[in-house]
Amino acid sequence: MASTPQRDSLKRLTLCALLTAIALTIFMVEAQIPLPIAIPGIKLGLSNIITVYAVFVLSPKEGVMILFCRIFLGAIFSGQMSTLLYSGGGGLLSILVLIGLSKILTQKEIWLASPIAAFFHNLGQLCVAALVMDTVVVFAYLPYLAIAAVVSGLFTGLCAQFVVARLPETH
Amino acid sequence: MMKRILVGFLMLVVAISAVAILLGGNDEPATVRITVGGTTVNEIPLSSSTLPKTITVNGKDEGENTVVIEEGRVSISHANCPDQICVNQGWITDSTLPIVCLPHQVIVEIVGGESSGLDTATG
Repeated sequence: MASTPQRDSLKRLTLCALLTAIALTIFMVEAQIPLPIAIPGIKLGLSNIITVYAVFVLSPKEGVMILFCRIFLGAIFSGQMSTLLYSGGGGLLSILVLIGLSKILTQKEIWLASPIAAFFHNLGQLCVAALVMDTVVVFAYLPYLAIAAVVSGLFTGLCAQFVVARLPETH
Repeated sequence: MMKRILVGFLMLVVAISAVAILLGGNDEPATVRITVGGTTVNEIPLSSSTLPKTITVNGKDEGENTVVIEEGRVSISHANCPDQICVNQGWITDSTLPIVCLPHQVIVEIVGGESSGLDTATG
């Protein structure tokens, strides 16, 4: 069958939908894993493997769509709508940084982009928290969140790096 | 080149954070604050040579609460209120949860110290 523009865009939409479903599944599974650290805002963020992959391999636009669909659906599925504001703020700041990084870094340097984006995610989250609670005291958490972000960001970044290396370049 | 700058940025973030964590934390000493009806009646540092110490607090409705302060912890050992919730709460060691005697409007809380009052506000 010949490849028409219509067919291509349909294929792309299906791919995005599939990636969103994968990200959502990872998010929900990760939410079931208890963490030994009791600081709110710290988690592995494994579903961001998909986010990083989408921004670097597909396009920034599709990365944004997948991320925000996953955040919104994740809040509904996990029943924690109150976290929507935090993850939305963090997600927005981090994806902007990530898109900027995708312009200056190659696909072989995804492992580096991820921890930086993770750091800005936690920064954005804290800014939202500061606005919601109307206090700057929450920034006392920043050092802890920053170190956690770099560690978990490196991990998800390396995971995304392996995914990119193993997937055939068919897009 | 860009890569080096970004790696440097990350290392800087981690280094500053580590320094902030190590230097921060225990900057103000923990203090026991006793309030009756919202006004502070007594403040005692949680670590001093005059401890252990027992004080009687006169609350509302002729209430009498005996507060015992020891090194690093505080409790209400006796109260002439009907429910005895404050006595049954036992010792507290940080600012997470204050001891409250509702009938006498007496609050015994620890301010400062290691946990900084953020424990009650989570997303």
